Amino acid sequence: MNRRVSLPPWVGRLLACLGGSVVLAMMVGKQQGSKDDYGLAFREAVLNPRIFYFLLVGVLVFLGITYQDVVRRYAGRPGVRPLLAGVLILLASYFLMKWYDPLGDGKLATFGAAVTSTPAVAPVARIFFGWLWWVGLLVTAAATAAAIVWRLRWLAWASAAVSVLVGAIAVAAHSLAVSFAGGIDHSFGAQTALIGNLVLAGAGVVAAMSRVETARTREFVERVMAFRPGLPLVAMGVVLGVLALVAATWFDPGGKNLTLVDTQHLFAGSALSGVASAYLAWLGYAVFAVVVVLAATAVWTAQKTLGYVAAGGAVVAILVTLATLHDISATATKAGYPGSAGEWQNLGTGGWVLCIALFSAGAGGLIAARRAPVIAPEPALARGSGALGRLHQVGTSTTLLSLTLFGVGLALFYPPTATAFWQQALVTDIGVYVLLAIGLNVVIGWAGLLDLGYIAFYALGSYTTAYFTGSLPVQPPIHLSPLWAIPVAIAVCLIAGVVLGGPTLRLRGDYLAIVTLGFGEIIRIIAVNNPGDFTNGPRGVARAVPHPVIDLGFIRFEWGGSQLQYWYLLLVLLALVFLLFWRLEGSRLGRAWAAVREDEVAAQATGVNTTRVKLLAFAIGASTSGLAGVFFASQVGYFNPQNFILNNSILVVAFVVFGGMGSLTGAIAGAAVLTWLPDFLRDQVPSEDRIMWIGAVLIVMMIFRPAGLIPARRRKAELTGLAGHDPSVDQDLRAVPAGEGV
Amino acid sequence: MTQATTTADPDDLIFDVQDVTLRFGGVTSLQNVSLQMRRGEILAVIGPNGAGKTSLFNSLTGVYTPQEGQILLRARPGDQPVSVLGQKTHVVNHLGVARTFQNIRLFPALTALENVKVGVETRQKSGPVSAMLGLPWQRREERESTSQAYALLDRVGLAGRANELAGSLPYGEQRRLEIARALGTDPGVILLDEPAAGTNPAEKQELAALIKQVNHDGVGVLLIEHDMKLVMSVADRIVVLNFGSRIAEGTPEQIQRDPAVVAAYLGTSEEEAVAELDTHDQPELHVIDTSGGVTGAGSAGGPATGEEQA
Ligand SMILES: Nc1ncnc2c1ncn2[C@@H]1O[C@H](COP(=O)(O)OP(=O)(O)O)[C@@H](O)[C@H]1O
Ligand SMILES: [Mg+2]
Repeated sequence: MNRRVSLPPWVGRLLACLGGSVVLAMMVGKQQGSKDDYGLAFREAVLNPRIFYFLLVGVLVFLGITYQDVVRRYAGRPGVRPLLAGVLILLASYFLMKWYDPLGDGKLATFGAAVTSTPAVAPVARIFFGWLWWVGLLVTAAATAAAIVWRLRWLAWASAAVSVLVGAIAVAAHSLAVSFAGGIDHSFGAQTALIGNLVLAGAGVVAAMSRVETARTREFVERVMAFRPGLPLVAMGVVLGVLALVAATWFDPGGKNLTLVDTQHLFAGSALSGVASAYLAWLGYAVFAVVVVLAATAVWTAQKTLGYVAAGGAVVAILVTLATLHDISATATKAGYPGSAGEWQNLGTGGWVLCIALFSAGAGGLIAARRAPVIAPEPALARGSGALGRLHQVGTSTTLLSLTLFGVGLALFYPPTATAFWQQALVTDIGVYVLLAIGLNVVIGWAGLLDLGYIAFYALGSYTTAYFTGSLPVQPPIHLSPLWAIPVAIAVCLIAGVVLGGPTLRLRGDYLAIVTLGFGEIIRIIAVNNPGDFTNGPRGVARAVPHPVIDLGFIRFEWGGSQLQYWYLLLVLLALVFLLFWRLEGSRLGRAWAAVREDEVAAQATGVNTTRVKLLAFAIGASTSGLAGVFFASQVGYFNPQNFILNNSILVVAFVVFGGMGSLTGAIAGAAVLTWLPDFLRDQVPSEDRIMWIGAVLIVMMIFRPAGLIPARRRKAELTGLAGHDPSVDQDLRAVPAGEGV
Repeated sequence: MTQATTTADPDDLIFDVQDVTLRFGGVTSLQNVSLQMRRGEILAVIGPNGAGKTSLFNSLTGVYTPQEGQILLRARPGDQPVSVLGQKTHVVNHLGVARTFQNIRLFPALTALENVKVGVETRQKSGPVSAMLGLPWQRREERESTSQAYALLDRVGLAGRANELAGSLPYGEQRRLEIARALGTDPGVILLDEPAAGTNPAEKQELAALIKQVNHDGVGVLLIEHDMKLVMSVADRIVVLNFGSRIAEGTPEQIQRDPAVVAAYLGTSEEEAVAELDTHDQPELHVIDTSGGVTGAGSAGGPATGEEQA
């Protein structure tokens, strides 16, 4: 009856690869996004000679897998990974992304055809769109590959240089062609091509510079970072700062795009304050130079004090810059300059980019200061050493710290330059979900409890805020401002977390997931059913939840003027939660969570009260969600039960997993990337296909980086499997699964 | 070291196990088992695979609750006797009972130091809020737990491995780390379930020294072990289990000479065992020294080897 046909394994592999290439063919091409005529989509995708290209890709992948021993020998070479990454990014930019929105599907092929058939376009653009894009890709990829295989340093350097050149030409050609064609363009094809080319160049540099045969790119990066910690940040600051001072727009009333020098001319003789006019004339350059020199010296000589001085200088410089920016916009508005729209308006990117640059340089100095006394790890292990306190710390590498600090700089000063759409997206999508992901990371990542009803606490927080601000049909005993609702909402969610967790946390794994899922739905349905006319049913709150207000008598600030205000409120909340949780992770409770997650029986036998520990995780996660709810409610004003559907709970789980379970920075990065991606893809791929691309990203990610974007050290160790690797130990002994048999 | 005294002071028993019976459905893991563990002694529990030794440990630590019988605990001198039955595992641990596992159960993704700290910190007070705010007493506790854990690592000879992930340590070191973690909870009695399984002879010697040292420092040791040489060298008294029942109890010398014990290990009848004891001058208990007990709960190990020898 049940005769199993056993095929040789390679047949299955080949079929899988070919099947994959057919899927890819259906994903990419003219038929993208045609959801009405599947016949057409299929004919276009499959019954077309182009299918052979895709099958060829499939066969190549098949060969790669089948002969992976040979492949692996080369894949370990320094530079291979960035080479692959660069090629993939370039392919995505050339075949997936848009290069010019107004024209047809906006792809490179369409735009390129239009450009090359228009003789009046600048020759650079015609050359690039005509042949350089693909010739460049082929030549640089092949040259880098050859350089890696035969270890030709000169070729690696040469191809790196060519890559940079091609990338620059891509951006230049694109902007020339767009300015020729006119129209509003949000495409990122050219920028992506630049990034891809830079990564390719990086591959060349790595190949040229590494001395070892199988050095990992990662180790190489760590080595570069270890050379002078903080140097990359300072370098970044110099590049950005010079761009900002020389080329960027500082004042932009109605499309005038004035650089710093132009701005100075414009404001010469105006009512600008002394500091601001000095800034425009010379002070701006001076403070930048001073900060950069200080930071560079601190980094180079590894002097602690100097590093702190540089960081302090950067703060002062940023404050002066901000004061100047405010003064420019205010003065122009007061003087009725045409196009001025008010305080903080019409400022180009220049001032903000300079702030990022200063922040970056200062952060470089800070890192140099932090790392200044080089403590070798070995002495710390010596018996009775005083450095014991450091041992248990969850290690942060300089690379991660640098990236995080740069991210903070971006988060602080990039949003003002973003379009209104992106500011909105930053606050409503990205920011709130980052907060939610940080909270859920406590539950899933640290305590290992799968909570599928997390959004319910968000709903509780939102409705609590609505109730206490008098926005629901039932009036509260006392009216609170949203800021005062924060502790109340946190308390409510804490209690709800304990009430739900108490009886359910003794359930394991999948049962807990089902119960929490049910809880999430119950809360939503209660909100819909409107018991006692409390929630106002599916229509949502009755009156808009008011904006938060700070009123100290002499100073009063009310949110709601712009999305940016909310963004900075959110940043403060995020920073607070991040700091508190970061401390928590390294504390006794953080370790107890890890213990419970890894082996509950062993944790109990070691005296950990597992129920209490899990309950704490649940409650702390829930209260973070409640905090996010307060923010959400007062930011949107109106909300309804539709905001709290199951889908959102699952999204937050996906963010945490994607970012790296158990990693704080990972949760932030995961939520940020996955909330940013749909909005980003909006302009880049047909909107019908957006979710499919996100799915593809998730799958690829989970295959190649199962521990997530920024894996937690503790989790990574779990995933890589850690049976004792003492070769003298009998294989059978190691094969005992850790969780089996008490 | 304490010597095996035969005068049982009824008021100074760490464990007083009376007629404990533990069943799983149709399987009876423990059948009317009674045993007394005196303060300060090293008591070994031996028996073929599947005899119920681990089940006994699990009953003593609150993991399993026996259907019949009584277990009284008095881990530290001066404690009132408490019944272990029905208590949660972590409560029993707080009462002063620490243990290790037959299949090593460390927290593999934590470092060696962190593993021990988990144990030490179950005796600390500071809560999540003081941790989040970094309050002074929380910081002090943190420092204390670090130095205590470090001292314990040093004691089991793992000071140099403090920052390595527990899961990446070799087998023998993992076993010692488990002991350090258990000692971290400052127990009155420590239960070691086959601590020498899978370790090499040199490590076994170190282990024996460690066990004696721990006992010397005032911690009672209840030991399950297949390695007879180790048992004979450290144990003050031995209890033998077979098929869930206690079949013998006594000093190592008495046990070595006990026909019922030899029979249990050889898988033969008692008469044959007597004959066996007569023909050989040296007792044959070393056949148990296969230390294969880690790989499974199957009870084939003891008798099969016995037949080979016979
Ligand atoms: N959780 C359990 N469920 C069912 N049977 C069990 C369980 N734990 C132990 N047993 C049974 O109890 C008996 C004794 O097992 P165990 O205590 O592990 O023996 P030992 O440690 O002496 O090798 C075995 O027959 C085993 O199958
Ligand atoms: Mg056992």
